[in-house]
Amino acid sequence: MRQQLGSGWYVIEEGLSGRTTVHNDPIEGDLKNGRTYLRPCLMSHAPLDLVILMLGTNDLKARFGQPASEVAMGIGCLIYDIKELAPGPDGRVPEIMVVAPPPMLEDIGEWSGIFDGAQSKSLELAHAFEVISDSLEVHFFDAAKVISSDPADGFHMSKQAHEDLGKAIALEIEAIGWGV
Amino acid sequence: MPDMRFAPPNPIRIADRSAGMNAVSVRSYNERLVLSLLLQNTGLSRMEIGQRTGLSAQTVSVIVRSLAQEGLVEKGKAQKGRMGPPTIPLSLNPGGAYSVGISLGHRHTDIVLLDFVGQVKFHTTLPIPPSVEYSNQSELVETVRQALAALPTKNNDRIAGIGLAIPEDADELALGPAGLAERNEALSSEIEAAIGLEVYVHNDVTAAAAGESMFGAAKSLDDYLFFYLGARIHHRLVLKHQIFQSPTQTSNAMGLLELEKRLSCDGQVTETLWTRGAKWPDYGPAKKAWLSDCVEELGKSLASASQFLPVNTVIVSSYAPKEVCDEIAGELARVHTGIEARSGELLISPKAMGAASLPFSSKFTVA
Repeated sequence: MRQQLGSGWYVIEEGLSGRTTVHNDPIEGDLKNGRTYLRPCLMSHAPLDLVILMLGTNDLKARFGQPASEVAMGIGCLIYDIKELAPGPDGRVPEIMVVAPPPMLEDIGEWSGIFDGAQSKSLELAHAFEVISDSLEVHFFDAAKVISSDPADGFHMSKQAHEDLGKAIALEIEAIGWGV
Repeated sequence: MPDMRFAPPNPIRIADRSAGMNAVSVRSYNERLVLSLLLQNTGLSRMEIGQRTGLSAQTVSVIVRSLAQEGLVEKGKAQKGRMGPPTIPLSLNPGGAYSVGISLGHRHTDIVLLDFVGQVKFHTTLPIPPSVEYSNQSELVETVRQALAALPTKNNDRIAGIGLAIPEDADELALGPAGLAERNEALSSEIEAAIGLEVYVHNDVTAAAAGESMFGAAKSLDDYLFFYLGARIHHRLVLKHQIFQSPTQTSNAMGLLELEKRLSCDGQVTETLWTRGAKWPDYGPAKKAWLSDCVEELGKSLASASQFLPVNTVIVSSYAPKEVCDEIAGELARVHTGIEARSGELLISPKAMGAASLPFSSKFTVA
């Protein structure tokens, strides 16, 4: 993404494996809760032109028992938090982009217990995320348009997929249109 | 009232909400604003759309995504700018919507099918029967069916409707068979019943001006004076995209009918005058004299309009050959300094093409 966007942009990665939208994970711990982490994280990096949220797969774990629409509500929560905090330039609300993760594959090997019943829900995530993005008026991108999950484990992304998605999102960012 | 933050969102995507051409009421004002802008301009970036409409980047993003999914808008290739990031130009998808236009004249009926950017996909001209007792309604309906059949069937739900342009000028109507006005009135509901598409009825000259504003020479004009050269000459004043027509307005006799009269006196054959898109033969001095008389008449209208407001631009529209319109426009501009006069760009049948613009404006634009 950085390469595609060029030197005009400063990209801060805030990825974390196992992060949920709004849940305290009883097994991985409260620190994986995206909601509590997001606000101080935005404060430390403000001002921000754009915040990209790509979460949701972990919310599909059997321990949370959430349908796709509830995961989207979690994303909605984060959008409200960002709008309330307004970490954009001059204290404005930054542009927000929701990226729906690609659906999980049928074969997720030893993870099938943890993600019991998650595959079919993962197919509904993109639509549910687009609905919440539309109603809260934020940008939306469906990662499944350009990549799919890595067959190695069935739900993570390969190195190549990271690269392809990064480039595709960079084009989406440019399409928003930014003054010079 | 529950806190809306915790209420579930409307379960339908905006793209789904507006699916189906006939769900007019759900097309939001903002969507119409974006579509109106794209009717007038091609290749706008999302940022330009935001700047010109005053909508936020996120709102534009949601609307453009929805219109693209619906197939009304298409994305072009990314353009590398000299400065800043590349931009993706957006335009209307020509195949995103279609519309039928019918113009009822006193000698001929014109039927066109236009795509979303005003390209003619079908055109034909039918003669008007000599008396109203013999109705040509079935032939007309059949022709509209043919026009629709010219589209691949997958586009059947993309037809915005049928526009019907009818003459209202008393002198114009008097040229046709008795009872023509009543006949025309009735046609609207007959066509609607037979075809099952919504029919939009409008004055024919006003429709032609609306067509020029949407697809033609007046796309970028807010204000202009519009002349239509048919059997008679008609005029309209357009201010801020509003087309004004006086209820007591009358047409001027110095039209093609007058030319025909003069040519006939000359012993010339005049059939070509009424043929759409036909090139005129050299009609000699009779035509020259007519043209100069015609320009003089237009000049009078121009002068009277100029008494009330500054008129800078004049559009001369006709189904007569473009060279004739160019000649009239050129002569008008020469005589009246400071006036820019141009030919219309709706060529084969401006009234029918204008009629076809009516369903588009009703369904997709901000009125």
